[in-house]
Amino acid sequence: MALSVDLANLALLGQIAVNSSTAVLLASLGEIVTERSGVLNLGLEGMLLLGALAGFAVGAATGDPAAALGAAAFAGALAALAHGFFAITLGANQVLSGLALSLLGAGLTGVLGRDLLGAPGLVLAAIPLPRLSAIPVLGPALFNQPPLTYLALALAPLLWWVLGRTRLGLLIRACGENAGAAYASGVPVRMVRYGCTCFGGALCGLGGAFLSLSYTPGWKEGMSAGQGWIAIAMVIFALWKPLRALFGSLLFGALIAAQFLMQTAGVQWAPVWLLRAMPYLLTIIVLTLVHASPRLRRRSGPPANLGRFFRPEG
Amino acid sequence: MLEKQEPPLLSCRGLTKRFASPAEASGGGFVLANAGVDLDLRAGRVHALLGENGAGKSTLMSMLSGWHRPDAGTLALRGAPLVLGSPAAAMRAGIGMVHQRFSLVEALTGAENLALADGGRVSARRTKELAQRFGLALDPGKRVSEMSMGERQRLEILKLLARDAHILILDEPTSVLAPAEISGLYASLRRLADQGRAVVLITHKLSEIAGAADEVSVLRRGRMIAHNLPRDPALADGWDMAELSRLMVGRDVPDCVASSVPPSCVLGAQDDGLQGAEHSETTLSVRGLTAQSGQGEPPAFADVDFEIARGEILAIVGVAGNGQEALAATLGGMERPARGKITIQGRPYDRALVAYVPEDRHGAGTVPNLTLAENMLLSTTRSRGAIFARGAGSRAARKALEALNVTASGVNALARELSGGNLQKFILARELSKGAPLLVVEQPTQGLDVLAVCDVHAAILKAAETAAVALVTGDPAEALALARRVAVVYRGRIAGVVAAGDADAFERISRLMAGLAPVEAALAEVAR
Repeated sequence: MALSVDLANLALLGQIAVNSSTAVLLASLGEIVTERSGVLNLGLEGMLLLGALAGFAVGAATGDPAAALGAAAFAGALAALAHGFFAITLGANQVLSGLALSLLGAGLTGVLGRDLLGAPGLVLAAIPLPRLSAIPVLGPALFNQPPLTYLALALAPLLWWVLGRTRLGLLIRACGENAGAAYASGVPVRMVRYGCTCFGGALCGLGGAFLSLSYTPGWKEGMSAGQGWIAIAMVIFALWKPLRALFGSLLFGALIAAQFLMQTAGVQWAPVWLLRAMPYLLTIIVLTLVHASPRLRRRSGPPANLGRFFRPEG
Repeated sequence: MLEKQEPPLLSCRGLTKRFASPAEASGGGFVLANAGVDLDLRAGRVHALLGENGAGKSTLMSMLSGWHRPDAGTLALRGAPLVLGSPAAAMRAGIGMVHQRFSLVEALTGAENLALADGGRVSARRTKELAQRFGLALDPGKRVSEMSMGERQRLEILKLLARDAHILILDEPTSVLAPAEISGLYASLRRLADQGRAVVLITHKLSEIAGAADEVSVLRRGRMIAHNLPRDPALADGWDMAELSRLMVGRDVPDCVASSVPPSCVLGAQDDGLQGAEHSETTLSVRGLTAQSGQGEPPAFADVDFEIARGEILAIVGVAGNGQEALAATLGGMERPARGKITIQGRPYDRALVAYVPEDRHGAGTVPNLTLAENMLLSTTRSRGAIFARGAGSRAARKALEALNVTASGVNALARELSGGNLQKFILARELSKGAPLLVVEQPTQGLDVLAVCDVHAAILKAAETAAVALVTGDPAEALALARRVAVVYRGRIAGVVAAGDADAFERISRLMAGLAPVEAALAEVAR
């Protein structure tokens, strides 16, 4: 069967691509902010699930989108706060604490969400923006999306601006690059780190809510399906830069859309496992390329104090 | 005098600080880092705080700059009581500190670092204006990671001035500078003091205070042995250096330590019979040696040629970052050169022919969490099999401890439990025990107290009786004290070789280190 890629088809694929990138984009943007402040939080997978469950449960109970999203963000931030307590206050190993958070999130949501399996609930459907969504191809792709997708798309340039162009961004970067110097300059390093970690958790929780309220409405155990890990790879792929995370997440979405296209068209250009492995492969390729170029290496490494505990006294 | 009447800018009374002892050996109690320290800092004065490593200088200054809280004692700012809870509070009180390890964010530019410090906007123009106002040259758009040590230091000082600090504390400020830059730093500090600020220099080098200080205080083992000693105009150096060094060390030290410039205990190395003799036997020959380079970056050093004979010490001197670190690592077998040839005793380079004492004592030099005996076994070529001889390791370690008079609880002491000086002596002894024809020593006395410096220098001179020694150091005085020839590295090339016996050797080395043409060449230029 010949594959017809007409305009309508392309618009649909674009819509799927952008839509599919949302959770990963939100989670990776949050993690970028967290890591730029010097805290490594590998608990994204757990926070996605907690956000998904909290958002779905509150949405089903109240029917109020604002309450649902607020609950999801709160759940994510609360989980991140726990990680922050271990990482920032106690100085525990951040890799272990983050992994524990991922396991905790998976286990906890599995237990708590048992009664909600398959239950009907709130759905945050796509809201086409007047006029803009009428633009051919780009319109449906970018401007016929659920609210959280708009939020994610808008956040990427906003965070780029905040991190690179504002004093708040300077403080965050200073905490991640050299906490001692920042502290000596009067920056409340631990407060900044707590703030960034919780912000990252809140975004991740919203990413989870997107999954359970818009992407595949309803609660399913383990419904994040590894997107949290993809988001961690995405942070590295993006070299800790929000706009590159936008690009990378859209690329990830395009891979999902390609899988979708292959299924509907019944054609197989490449094995599905290869498409699934692509985000990780691309991350390794980007890391290798960056390492090979001294110019890139100097400007694109991880924050110098990433994952390093800072104690003010001594 | 009038200024005696008004209260000092900052005065400390009875400052005391204890730290929990890290080593169980000392009973798990407390280490008294500062005990009842008194100090007065006055406006318009450059104050030198002298003391050996571990005397408590840094602890005292950390208390003044808000990093540590004193356990007892009081601070007063212009006579008013002062309590400092954080570096930010100290900064608000006008006290700023430049640590030995700079607290700059390397990934940010000069202007960004400045904005971070003073809360202002990131502005290249503002940074430039500030730099010009205080006469501290700086490129505001340059990233810190691309700045020289001198530039970083100026940026640190500027950060403090931008926040209107009137008490400036500099911890070992000259350790990262070329001799030519040091006088520039002193001139800037003098200017800042004349504008009504108090400047504190923390140092353990006696020779440095003569050029810069108005008064001197001496710390020893956490106690202020003498404070606010004024300059004595009758003396050329301003103070009786022998007396100061006695105060600092706490007992009489060999003459050489007390004399102001060369720190070596064994004077007259140059006219030693062996070193003065004909060197027919070339041990090390280096030809066209060039370091590996990343794309777009120049190699750390290029086209380096030199020879060292048996029984000779060649010093390789340069300001940090000019390639001598990579050169030492290449000679020591840690890095592979891109081009060029190293021959040892006529044979191609072989790691087994080299004894190497790296700069990083706790990292490359030893494994901190292994015992001395185990550290010995790691590098001795004699026990290479799958099963090592524990007894042989202990014996060898014991011999090493005895050979260089290392203070340690025994061969089963962990490497990290030794003080810097003792660890360095142990490493030296271990490397010497190999009996290799070439010894490469890198920054052997950095951070050591004077007596340890003496022992280490003596050991190097002893080694030079039977081997060729390449001494890589940033300290021209050390080079002159030990070596017969001094090769100066500047931007990865050997800028010149100076005979240590020449009268103007120090001056010429200083000029070469700073990248200035040799005096003769400059004069010839003028004549033409």
